[in-house]
Amino acid sequence: MKFKRLAQLLPPPVGLLPLAAVLLVWQCVAPDESPSFPPPSNWWTAIRGLTADGLLGPAVLATLQNFAAGLLAACALGFTLGLLIGVLPGLRRWTGMLLEYLRALPPPVVVPIAILMLGFSPGMQIGVIAYTTAWPILLNTVAGVAAIRELQLDVGRSMRMPWTVRMIKIVIPATLPAFLLGVRVAVSLAIVVTLLVEMFTGLPGIGLLMVTGQRNFNSSQVFGLLAVVGLLAFCLTLAFNLIEGLVLSRWPPRRSAGA
Amino acid sequence: MKYRDLFAGVGGLLVFFGLWQGLVSSGLVQYEYVPAPSVIARGLAGMAGGAEMWEEIGHTLMAALLGWAIACGAGTAIGVVLGLSPKTRRYTLASVEMLRPLPGIAFVPVALLLFGFSIQMELLVIVAPVIWPALVNSMGGVMAVSERLTDVARTLRLSALSTITTILLPAAAPAILIGARLALTLSLIMAVAAEMIGNPVGLGYAVVREQQAMHPDRMFGYVLIMGALGILLDAGLRGIARLLLPGEFRRLSIQGRA
Repeated sequence: MKFKRLAQLLPPPVGLLPLAAVLLVWQCVAPDESPSFPPPSNWWTAIRGLTADGLLGPAVLATLQNFAAGLLAACALGFTLGLLIGVLPGLRRWTGMLLEYLRALPPPVVVPIAILMLGFSPGMQIGVIAYTTAWPILLNTVAGVAAIRELQLDVGRSMRMPWTVRMIKIVIPATLPAFLLGVRVAVSLAIVVTLLVEMFTGLPGIGLLMVTGQRNFNSSQVFGLLAVVGLLAFCLTLAFNLIEGLVLSRWPPRRSAGA
Repeated sequence: MKYRDLFAGVGGLLVFFGLWQGLVSSGLVQYEYVPAPSVIARGLAGMAGGAEMWEEIGHTLMAALLGWAIACGAGTAIGVVLGLSPKTRRYTLASVEMLRPLPGIAFVPVALLLFGFSIQMELLVIVAPVIWPALVNSMGGVMAVSERLTDVARTLRLSALSTITTILLPAAAPAILIGARLALTLSLIMAVAAEMIGNPVGLGYAVVREQQAMHPDRMFGYVLIMGALGILLDAGLRGIARLLLPGEFRRLSIQGRA
Protein backbone atom coordinates (compact mmCIF):
# COMPACT_ATOMS: atom_id res chain seq x y z
CA MET A 1 0.00 0.00 0.00
CA LYS A 2 2.69 2.46 1.03
CA PHE A 3 4.87 1.41 -1.86
CA LYS A 4 2.03 1.85 -4.29
CA ARG A 5 1.53 5.38 -3.09
CA LEU A 6 5.25 6.03 -3.43
CA ALA A 7 5.26 4.66 -6.97
CA GLN A 8 2.35 6.89 -7.94
CA LEU A 9 4.30 9.96 -6.95
CA LEU A 10 7.16 9.17 -9.29
CA PRO A 11 7.30 9.23 -13.07
CA PRO A 12 8.15 5.94 -14.82
CA PRO A 13 11.75 4.95 -14.03
CA VAL A 14 12.63 4.49 -17.73
CA GLY A 15 12.82 8.28 -17.69
CA LEU A 16 16.12 7.99 -15.84
CA LEU A 17 17.75 6.78 -19.08
CA PRO A 18 18.93 10.23 -20.30
CA LEU A 19 20.54 11.00 -16.97
CA ALA A 20 22.23 7.60 -16.90
CA ALA A 21 23.38 8.05 -20.50
CA VAL A 22 24.94 11.44 -19.76
CA LEU A 23 26.79 10.04 -16.75
CA LEU A 24 27.96 7.04 -18.76
CA VAL A 25 29.27 9.16 -21.63
CA TRP A 26 30.92 11.46 -19.10
CA GLN A 27 32.60 8.46 -17.49
CA CYS A 28 33.92 7.20 -20.85
CA VAL A 29 34.98 10.54 -22.34
CA ALA A 30 36.45 12.45 -19.40
CA PRO A 31 40.18 11.94 -18.77
CA ASP A 32 40.90 10.39 -15.39
CA GLU A 33 42.74 13.42 -13.99
CA SER A 34 40.44 16.06 -15.50
CA PRO A 35 40.56 19.15 -13.25
CA SER A 36 37.20 20.46 -14.47
CA PHE A 37 35.07 17.45 -15.36
CA PRO A 38 36.27 14.44 -13.36
CA PRO A 39 34.53 11.18 -14.34
CA PRO A 40 31.74 10.01 -12.00
CA SER A 41 33.82 7.07 -10.72
CA ASN A 42 36.23 9.62 -9.23
CA TRP A 43 33.30 11.33 -7.47
CA TRP A 44 32.54 8.04 -5.82
CA THR A 45 36.18 7.62 -4.74
CA ALA A 46 36.22 11.14 -3.31
CA ILE A 47 32.99 10.55 -1.38
CA ARG A 48 34.35 7.24 -0.08
CA GLY A 49 37.46 9.14 1.06
CA LEU A 50 35.34 11.68 2.93
CA THR A 51 33.38 8.88 4.60
CA ALA A 52 36.57 7.08 5.60
CA ASP A 53 37.87 10.29 7.20
CA GLY A 54 34.63 10.54 9.16
CA LEU A 55 33.79 13.91 7.56
CA LEU A 56 30.71 13.22 5.49
CA GLY A 57 28.39 11.71 8.12
CA PRO A 58 28.61 14.55 10.66
CA ALA A 59 28.35 17.15 7.88
CA VAL A 60 25.17 15.58 6.46
CA LEU A 61 23.76 15.31 9.97
CA ALA A 62 24.55 18.95 10.80
CA THR A 63 22.97 20.17 7.58
CA LEU A 64 19.85 18.04 8.05
CA GLN A 65 19.45 19.11 11.68
CA ASN A 66 19.66 22.81 10.89
CA PHE A 67 17.38 22.36 7.90
CA ALA A 68 14.76 20.56 10.00
CA ALA A 69 14.96 22.94 12.96
CA GLY A 70 14.72 26.01 10.73
CA LEU A 71 11.88 24.61 8.67
CA LEU A 72 9.86 23.54 11.73
CA ALA A 73 10.29 26.97 13.29
CA ALA A 74 9.23 28.54 9.98
CA CYS A 75 6.11 26.33 9.84
CA ALA A 76 5.10 27.28 13.38
CA LEU A 77 5.82 30.97 12.82
CA GLY A 78 4.33 31.21 9.34
CA PHE A 79 1.17 29.25 10.14
CA THR A 80 0.40 31.07 13.39
CA LEU A 81 1.03 34.54 12.01
CA GLY A 82 -0.71 33.63 8.75
CA LEU A 83 -3.84 32.49 10.60
CA LEU A 84 -3.79 35.60 12.76
CA ILE A 85 -3.39 37.98 9.83
CA GLY A 86 -5.88 35.96 7.81
CA VAL A 87 -8.73 36.08 10.33
CA LEU A 88 -8.28 39.78 11.09
CA PRO A 89 -9.06 41.68 7.85
CA GLY A 90 -7.94 44.98 9.32
CA LEU A 91 -4.52 43.59 10.17
CA ARG A 92 -4.37 42.03 6.71
CA ARG A 93 -4.87 45.38 5.02
CA TRP A 94 -2.42 47.23 7.21
CA THR A 95 0.37 44.67 6.92
CA GLY A 96 -0.19 43.79 3.24
CA MET A 97 2.34 46.13 1.70
CA LEU A 98 4.93 45.67 4.43
CA LEU A 99 4.79 41.88 4.09
CA GLU A 100 5.06 42.08 0.30
CA TYR A 101 8.13 44.28 0.66
CA LEU A 102 9.85 42.18 3.32
CA ARG A 103 9.11 39.07 1.27
CA ALA A 104 10.73 40.64 -1.79
CA LEU A 105 14.12 40.91 -0.06
CA PRO A 106 16.26 38.14 -1.55
CA PRO A 107 16.79 35.55 1.23
CA PRO A 108 20.61 35.45 0.84
CA VAL A 109 21.03 39.06 1.99
CA VAL A 110 19.41 38.20 5.31
CA VAL A 111 22.57 36.26 6.17
CA PRO A 112 24.93 39.27 6.53
CA ILE A 113 22.30 41.11 8.58
CA ALA A 114 21.89 38.15 10.88
CA ILE A 115 25.66 37.81 11.27
CA LEU A 116 25.93 41.44 12.34
CA MET A 117 23.08 41.07 14.81
CA LEU A 118 23.54 37.53 16.13
CA GLY A 119 27.16 36.66 15.35
CA PHE A 120 28.40 33.34 14.00
CA SER A 121 26.41 30.61 15.69
CA PRO A 122 24.17 27.65 14.90
CA GLY A 123 21.33 29.70 16.42
CA MET A 124 21.94 32.38 13.81
CA GLN A 125 21.78 29.75 11.07
CA ILE A 126 18.47 28.35 12.29
CA GLY A 127 17.12 31.87 12.73
CA VAL A 128 18.02 32.79 9.16
CA ILE A 129 16.45 29.63 7.76
CA ALA A 130 13.30 30.17 9.81
CA TYR A 131 12.99 33.83 8.85
CA THR A 132 13.50 33.37 5.12
CA THR A 133 11.34 30.27 4.74
CA ALA A 134 8.47 31.56 6.89
CA TRP A 135 7.42 33.96 4.09
CA PRO A 136 5.95 31.55 1.56
CA ILE A 137 4.21 29.70 4.41
CA LEU A 138 2.82 32.89 5.93
CA LEU A 139 1.60 34.40 2.66
CA ASN A 140 0.01 31.16 1.46
CA THR A 141 -1.72 30.69 4.81
CA VAL A 142 -3.10 34.23 4.68
CA ALA A 143 -4.39 33.58 1.15
CA GLY A 144 -5.85 30.25 2.30
CA VAL A 145 -7.80 31.86 5.13
CA ALA A 146 -8.98 34.63 2.83
CA ALA A 147 -10.31 32.02 0.39
CA ILE A 148 -12.58 30.30 2.94
CA ARG A 149 -16.18 30.81 1.90
CA GLU A 150 -18.26 33.09 4.05
CA LEU A 151 -20.90 30.33 4.15
CA GLN A 152 -18.58 27.93 5.96
CA LEU A 153 -17.84 30.51 8.63
CA ASP A 154 -21.55 31.28 8.93
CA VAL A 155 -22.26 27.63 9.67
CA GLY A 156 -19.93 27.86 12.65
CA ARG A 157 -21.56 31.06 13.81
CA SER A 158 -25.10 29.73 13.53
CA MET A 159 -24.09 26.63 15.48
CA ARG A 160 -22.87 29.01 18.15
CA MET A 161 -19.42 27.52 18.16
CA PRO A 162 -16.99 29.40 20.36
CA TRP A 163 -14.14 31.20 18.59
CA THR A 164 -11.57 28.49 19.38
CA VAL A 165 -13.79 25.68 18.09
CA ARG A 166 -14.48 27.60 14.88
CA MET A 167 -10.73 27.94 14.37
CA ILE A 168 -10.03 24.26 15.01
CA LYS A 169 -13.00 22.78 13.15
CA ILE A 170 -13.41 25.18 10.24
CA VAL A 171 -10.57 27.61 9.64
CA ILE A 172 -7.53 25.39 10.20
CA PRO A 173 -8.70 22.36 8.16
CA ALA A 174 -9.77 24.64 5.30
CA THR A 175 -6.39 26.38 5.33
CA LEU A 176 -4.25 23.23 5.36
CA PRO A 177 -3.92 22.81 1.56
CA ALA A 178 -2.73 26.40 1.13
CA PHE A 179 -0.38 26.01 4.08
CA LEU A 180 1.11 22.85 2.55
CA LEU A 181 1.60 24.68 -0.74
CA GLY A 182 3.64 27.23 1.18
CA VAL A 183 5.66 24.50 2.89
CA ARG A 184 6.42 22.98 -0.52
CA VAL A 185 8.10 26.21 -1.57
CA ALA A 186 9.72 26.52 1.85
CA VAL A 187 11.34 23.06 1.67
CA SER A 188 13.42 23.87 -1.40
CA LEU A 189 14.17 27.35 -0.12
CA ALA A 190 15.31 25.97 3.25
CA ILE A 191 17.82 23.64 1.54
CA VAL A 192 19.25 26.59 -0.39
CA VAL A 193 19.51 28.84 2.67
CA THR A 194 21.03 26.10 4.86
CA LEU A 195 23.80 25.45 2.33
CA LEU A 196 24.29 29.16 1.71
CA VAL A 197 24.88 29.90 5.38
CA GLU A 198 27.36 27.04 5.62
CA MET A 199 29.26 28.22 2.55
CA PHE A 200 29.19 31.82 3.64
CA THR A 201 30.10 31.48 7.31
CA GLY A 202 32.03 28.22 7.45
CA LEU A 203 29.66 26.68 9.97
CA PRO A 204 29.92 22.87 9.73
CA GLY A 205 27.84 21.07 7.12
CA ILE A 206 27.81 19.89 3.51
CA GLY A 207 28.09 23.47 2.27
CA LEU A 208 31.39 23.90 4.09
CA LEU A 209 32.71 20.60 2.71
CA MET A 210 31.86 21.75 -0.83
CA VAL A 211 33.63 25.09 -0.41
CA THR A 212 36.66 23.35 1.13
CA GLY A 213 36.81 21.00 -1.84
CA GLN A 214 36.59 23.93 -4.23
CA ARG A 215 39.35 25.86 -2.46
CA ASN A 216 41.60 22.80 -2.66
CA PHE A 217 40.75 22.44 -6.36
CA ASN A 218 39.45 18.98 -5.52
CA SER A 219 36.90 18.82 -8.32
CA SER A 220 36.00 15.16 -7.69
CA GLN A 221 34.96 16.03 -4.16
CA VAL A 222 32.91 19.02 -5.33
CA PHE A 223 31.06 17.00 -7.98
CA GLY A 224 30.60 14.08 -5.58
CA LEU A 225 29.08 16.37 -2.96
CA LEU A 226 26.88 17.94 -5.64
CA ALA A 227 25.49 14.48 -6.30
CA VAL A 228 25.03 13.88 -2.56
CA VAL A 229 23.17 17.18 -2.20
CA GLY A 230 21.01 16.33 -5.20
CA LEU A 231 20.12 12.96 -3.74
CA LEU A 232 19.33 14.49 -0.33
CA ALA A 233 17.18 17.22 -1.88
CA PHE A 234 15.35 14.61 -3.94
CA CYS A 235 14.64 12.49 -0.86
CA LEU A 236 13.47 15.50 1.16
CA THR A 237 11.10 16.55 -1.63
CA LEU A 238 9.79 13.02 -1.90
CA ALA A 239 9.28 12.81 1.87
CA PHE A 240 7.35 16.07 1.75
CA ASN A 241 5.17 14.77 -1.09
CA LEU A 242 4.36 11.69 0.99
CA ILE A 243 3.45 13.73 4.06
CA GLU A 244 1.39 16.12 1.96
CA GLY A 245 -0.47 13.19 0.41
CA LEU A 246 -1.23 11.72 3.84
CA VAL A 247 -2.44 15.03 5.27
CA LEU A 248 -4.57 15.84 2.23
CA SER A 249 -6.18 12.40 2.26
CA ARG A 250 -7.16 12.98 5.88
CA TRP A 251 -8.41 16.56 5.29
CA PRO A 252 -9.20 16.68 1.56
CA PRO A 253 -9.23 20.15 0.02
CA ARG A 254 -12.69 21.28 -1.05
CA ARG A 255 -12.95 22.72 -4.52
CA SER A 256 -15.54 25.15 -3.29
CA ALA A 257 -13.23 26.50 -0.63
CA GLY A 258 -10.59 27.58 -3.07
CA ALA A 259 -12.81 29.30 -5.63
CA MET B 1 -12.19 49.81 -1.49
CA LYS B 2 -9.00 49.72 -3.52
CA TYR B 3 -7.91 53.11 -2.20
CA ARG B 4 -8.62 52.02 1.34
CA ASP B 5 -6.28 49.05 0.88
CA LEU B 6 -3.61 51.30 -0.57
CA PHE B 7 -4.01 53.76 2.26
CA ALA B 8 -3.79 51.04 4.91
CA GLY B 9 -0.82 49.41 3.14
CA VAL B 10 1.16 52.65 3.03
CA GLY B 11 0.06 53.35 6.58
CA GLY B 12 1.41 49.98 7.69
CA LEU B 13 4.77 50.74 6.06
CA LEU B 14 4.91 54.16 7.74
CA VAL B 15 4.04 52.66 11.13
CA PHE B 16 6.77 50.04 10.70
CA PHE B 17 9.52 52.50 9.81
CA GLY B 18 8.19 55.04 12.33
CA LEU B 19 8.36 52.49 15.14
CA TRP B 20 11.85 51.48 14.04
CA GLN B 21 12.96 55.13 13.98
CA GLY B 22 11.34 55.85 17.33
CA LEU B 23 12.73 52.81 19.10
CA VAL B 24 16.29 53.36 17.89
CA SER B 25 16.55 57.15 18.18
CA SER B 26 14.86 57.27 21.58
CA GLY B 27 17.42 54.77 22.81
CA LEU B 28 14.81 52.22 23.87
CA VAL B 29 16.49 49.71 21.59
CA GLN B 30 20.22 50.10 21.64
CA TYR B 31 21.73 47.71 19.25
CA GLU B 32 25.12 48.47 17.88
CA TYR B 33 24.39 47.33 14.37
CA VAL B 34 20.81 48.47 13.83
CA PRO B 35 20.83 52.04 12.55
CA ALA B 36 17.68 54.17 12.47
CA PRO B 37 15.90 54.52 9.11
CA SER B 38 17.00 58.17 8.93
CA VAL B 39 20.64 57.08 9.16
CA ILE B 40 20.08 54.44 6.47
CA ALA B 41 18.42 57.05 4.26
CA ARG B 42 21.42 59.34 4.68
CA GLY B 43 23.74 56.46 3.79
CA LEU B 44 21.65 55.69 0.71
CA ALA B 45 21.65 59.32 -0.37
CA GLY B 46 25.43 59.39 -0.06
CA MET B 47 25.77 56.26 -2.19
CA ALA B 48 23.30 57.49 -4.80
CA GLY B 49 25.60 60.44 -5.46
CA GLY B 50 28.49 58.21 -6.53
CA ALA B 51 28.77 55.89 -9.53
CA GLU B 52 29.64 52.71 -7.59
CA MET B 53 26.14 51.84 -6.43
CA TRP B 54 24.65 52.32 -9.89
CA GLU B 55 27.33 50.12 -11.43
CA GLU B 56 26.59 47.42 -8.86
CA ILE B 57 22.87 47.62 -9.53
CA GLY B 58 23.59 47.45 -13.25
CA HIS B 59 25.82 44.40 -12.92
CA THR B 60 23.39 42.41 -10.78
CA LEU B 61 20.45 43.34 -13.00
CA MET B 62 22.38 42.35 -16.11
CA ALA B 63 23.43 38.99 -14.66
CA ALA B 64 19.93 38.20 -13.34
CA LEU B 65 18.17 39.18 -16.58
CA LEU B 66 20.67 37.42 -18.83
CA GLY B 67 20.44 34.24 -16.75
CA TRP B 68 16.66 34.55 -16.70
CA ALA B 69 16.50 34.93 -20.49
CA ILE B 70 18.73 31.90 -21.09
CA ALA B 71 16.85 29.76 -18.58
CA CYS B 72 13.42 30.79 -19.86
CA GLY B 73 14.40 30.27 -23.48
CA ALA B 74 15.86 26.82 -22.92
CA GLY B 75 13.30 25.80 -20.30
CA THR B 76 10.31 26.84 -22.40
CA ALA B 77 11.67 25.14 -25.53
CA ILE B 78 12.26 21.86 -23.70
CA GLY B 79 8.98 22.23 -21.82
CA VAL B 80 6.99 22.65 -25.03
CA VAL B 81 8.63 19.57 -26.58
CA LEU B 82 7.93 17.51 -23.45
CA GLY B 83 4.37 18.82 -23.30
CA LEU B 84 3.73 17.83 -26.91
CA SER B 85 5.10 14.32 -26.84
CA PRO B 86 3.99 11.79 -24.21
CA LYS B 87 6.71 9.42 -25.39
CA THR B 88 9.51 11.93 -24.82
CA ARG B 89 7.97 12.65 -21.44
CA ARG B 90 8.00 9.00 -20.54
CA TYR B 91 11.68 8.67 -21.33
CA THR B 92 12.88 11.89 -19.67
CA LEU B 93 10.53 12.94 -16.87
CA ALA B 94 12.24 10.86 -14.17
CA SER B 95 15.55 12.56 -15.01
CA VAL B 96 13.87 15.95 -14.70
CA GLU B 97 12.35 15.02 -11.34
CA MET B 98 15.74 13.76 -10.16
CA LEU B 99 17.60 16.94 -11.12
CA ARG B 100 14.93 19.50 -10.30
CA PRO B 101 15.31 19.54 -6.50
CA LEU B 102 19.08 20.10 -6.82
CA PRO B 103 19.54 23.46 -5.07
CA GLY B 104 21.14 26.15 -7.24
CA ILE B 105 23.42 27.21 -4.46
CA ALA B 106 25.20 23.85 -4.64
CA PHE B 107 26.43 24.86 -8.11
CA VAL B 108 28.47 27.75 -6.68
CA PRO B 109 31.58 25.64 -5.90
CA VAL B 110 31.29 23.82 -9.23
CA ALA B 111 30.87 27.12 -11.10
CA LEU B 112 33.87 28.60 -9.28
CA LEU B 113 35.98 25.58 -10.24
CA LEU B 114 34.94 25.81 -13.87
CA PHE B 115 34.86 29.56 -14.47
CA GLY B 116 36.60 31.30 -11.55
CA PHE B 117 35.39 34.80 -10.70
CA SER B 118 33.42 35.67 -13.81
CA ILE B 119 29.98 36.42 -15.17
CA GLN B 120 29.82 32.87 -16.58
CA MET B 121 30.08 31.58 -13.02
CA GLU B 122 27.07 33.69 -12.03
CA LEU B 123 25.15 32.57 -15.09
CA LEU B 124 25.67 28.88 -14.34
CA VAL B 125 24.44 29.39 -10.76
CA ILE B 126 21.40 31.29 -12.06
CA VAL B 127 20.45 29.08 -15.01
CA ALA B 128 20.81 25.73 -13.23
CA PRO B 129 17.87 26.22 -10.83
CA VAL B 130 15.89 28.82 -12.84
CA ILE B 131 15.38 26.58 -15.86
CA TRP B 132 13.01 24.28 -13.89
CA PRO B 133 10.06 26.61 -13.21
CA ALA B 134 10.18 27.67 -16.88
CA LEU B 135 10.31 24.06 -18.07
CA VAL B 136 7.69 22.61 -15.76
CA ASN B 137 5.17 25.41 -16.24
CA SER B 138 5.44 25.48 -20.03
CA MET B 139 5.16 21.68 -20.13
CA GLY B 140 2.06 21.83 -17.96
CA GLY B 141 0.65 24.64 -20.05
CA VAL B 142 1.07 22.76 -23.32
CA MET B 143 -0.33 19.55 -21.79
CA ALA B 144 -3.40 21.43 -20.59
CA VAL B 145 -4.26 22.81 -24.04
CA SER B 146 -7.73 21.59 -24.84
CA GLU B 147 -8.15 18.66 -27.20
CA ARG B 148 -10.56 20.74 -29.26
CA LEU B 149 -7.93 23.32 -30.11
CA THR B 150 -5.55 20.69 -31.44
CA ASP B 151 -8.47 19.19 -33.39
CA VAL B 152 -9.04 22.57 -34.99
CA ALA B 153 -5.39 22.64 -36.02
CA ARG B 154 -5.75 19.20 -37.57
CA THR B 155 -8.97 20.12 -39.37
CA LEU B 156 -7.30 23.19 -40.83
CA ARG B 157 -4.37 20.97 -41.86
CA LEU B 158 -1.91 23.31 -40.19
CA SER B 159 1.74 22.33 -40.38
CA ALA B 160 3.41 21.24 -37.16
CA LEU B 161 5.26 24.54 -36.89
CA SER B 162 2.20 26.73 -37.39
CA THR B 163 0.21 24.54 -34.99
CA ILE B 164 2.79 25.34 -32.34
CA THR B 165 3.09 29.05 -33.08
CA THR B 166 -0.56 29.88 -33.74
CA ILE B 167 -2.41 27.45 -31.47
CA LEU B 168 -0.30 25.88 -28.74
CA LEU B 169 1.96 28.73 -27.66
CA PRO B 170 -0.84 31.31 -27.34
CA ALA B 171 -3.00 28.80 -25.44
CA ALA B 172 -0.12 27.93 -23.12
CA ALA B 173 1.06 31.54 -22.74
CA PRO B 174 -0.48 32.17 -19.30
CA ALA B 175 1.23 29.10 -17.83
CA ILE B 176 4.50 29.98 -19.54
CA LEU B 177 4.32 33.50 -18.12
CA ILE B 178 3.67 32.19 -14.62
CA GLY B 179 6.82 30.10 -14.97
CA ALA B 180 8.69 33.14 -16.23
CA ARG B 181 7.50 35.16 -13.26
CA LEU B 182 8.66 32.57 -10.73
CA ALA B 183 11.91 32.32 -12.68
CA LEU B 184 12.50 36.06 -12.52
CA THR B 185 12.24 36.22 -8.73
CA LEU B 186 14.54 33.22 -8.45
CA SER B 187 17.05 34.74 -10.91
CA LEU B 188 17.57 37.79 -8.75
CA ILE B 189 17.98 35.62 -5.64
CA MET B 190 20.54 33.37 -7.33
CA ALA B 191 22.46 36.33 -8.81
CA VAL B 192 22.78 37.84 -5.34
CA ALA B 193 23.79 34.50 -3.81
CA ALA B 194 26.40 33.91 -6.53
CA GLU B 195 27.87 37.35 -5.87
CA MET B 196 27.92 36.78 -2.12
CA ILE B 197 29.90 33.54 -2.14
CA GLY B 198 31.43 33.59 -5.61
CA ASN B 199 32.05 36.40 -8.05
CA PRO B 200 32.89 39.47 -5.88
CA VAL B 201 30.96 42.15 -7.79
CA GLY B 202 27.46 43.61 -7.83
CA LEU B 203 24.88 44.08 -5.09
CA GLY B 204 25.45 40.70 -3.43
CA TYR B 205 29.10 41.44 -2.86
CA ALA B 206 28.31 45.03 -1.83
CA VAL B 207 26.19 43.81 1.09
CA VAL B 208 28.95 41.47 2.25
CA ARG B 209 31.59 44.19 1.87
CA GLU B 210 29.61 46.70 3.92
CA GLN B 211 28.91 44.10 6.58
CA GLN B 212 32.58 43.26 6.92
CA ALA B 213 33.51 46.95 6.88
CA MET B 214 31.00 47.49 9.73
CA HIS B 215 28.90 49.98 7.78
CA PRO B 216 25.43 48.81 8.82
CA ASP B 217 23.78 51.91 7.36
CA ARG B 218 25.11 51.17 3.88
CA MET B 219 24.45 47.45 4.29
CA PHE B 220 20.78 48.08 5.13
CA GLY B 221 20.68 50.58 2.28
CA TYR B 222 21.76 47.92 -0.21
CA VAL B 223 19.26 45.46 1.26
CA LEU B 224 16.41 47.96 0.83
CA ILE B 225 17.50 48.55 -2.78
CA MET B 226 17.32 44.83 -3.50
CA GLY B 227 13.79 44.59 -2.14
CA ALA B 228 12.73 47.48 -4.37
CA LEU B 229 14.50 45.88 -7.34
CA GLY B 230 12.64 42.61 -6.85
CA ILE B 231 9.28 44.39 -6.72
CA LEU B 232 10.08 46.53 -9.78
CA LEU B 233 11.17 43.53 -11.85
CA ASP B 234 8.01 41.65 -10.94
CA ALA B 235 5.81 44.64 -11.68
CA GLY B 236 7.57 45.14 -15.01
CA LEU B 237 6.98 41.55 -16.06
CA ARG B 238 3.34 41.75 -15.04
CA GLY B 239 2.98 44.94 -17.06
CA ILE B 240 4.40 43.24 -20.14
CA ALA B 241 2.15 40.23 -19.56
CA ARG B 242 -0.88 42.47 -19.37
CA LEU B 243 0.00 43.92 -22.77
CA LEU B 244 0.56 40.50 -24.30
CA LEU B 245 -2.33 38.51 -22.91
CA PRO B 246 -6.02 38.81 -23.72
CA GLY B 247 -8.66 39.62 -21.10
CA GLU B 248 -9.32 36.67 -18.89
CA PHE B 249 -5.69 35.64 -18.56
CA ARG B 250 -4.53 39.04 -17.41
CA ARG B 251 -4.49 38.16 -13.79
CA LEU B 252 -1.23 36.31 -13.43
CA SER B 253 -1.75 34.68 -10.10
CA ILE B 254 0.94 32.49 -8.67
CA GLN B 255 -1.56 30.95 -6.29
CA GLY B 256 -1.68 27.22 -6.68
CA ARG B 257 1.34 27.12 -8.95
CA ALA B 258 4.18 28.04 -6.69
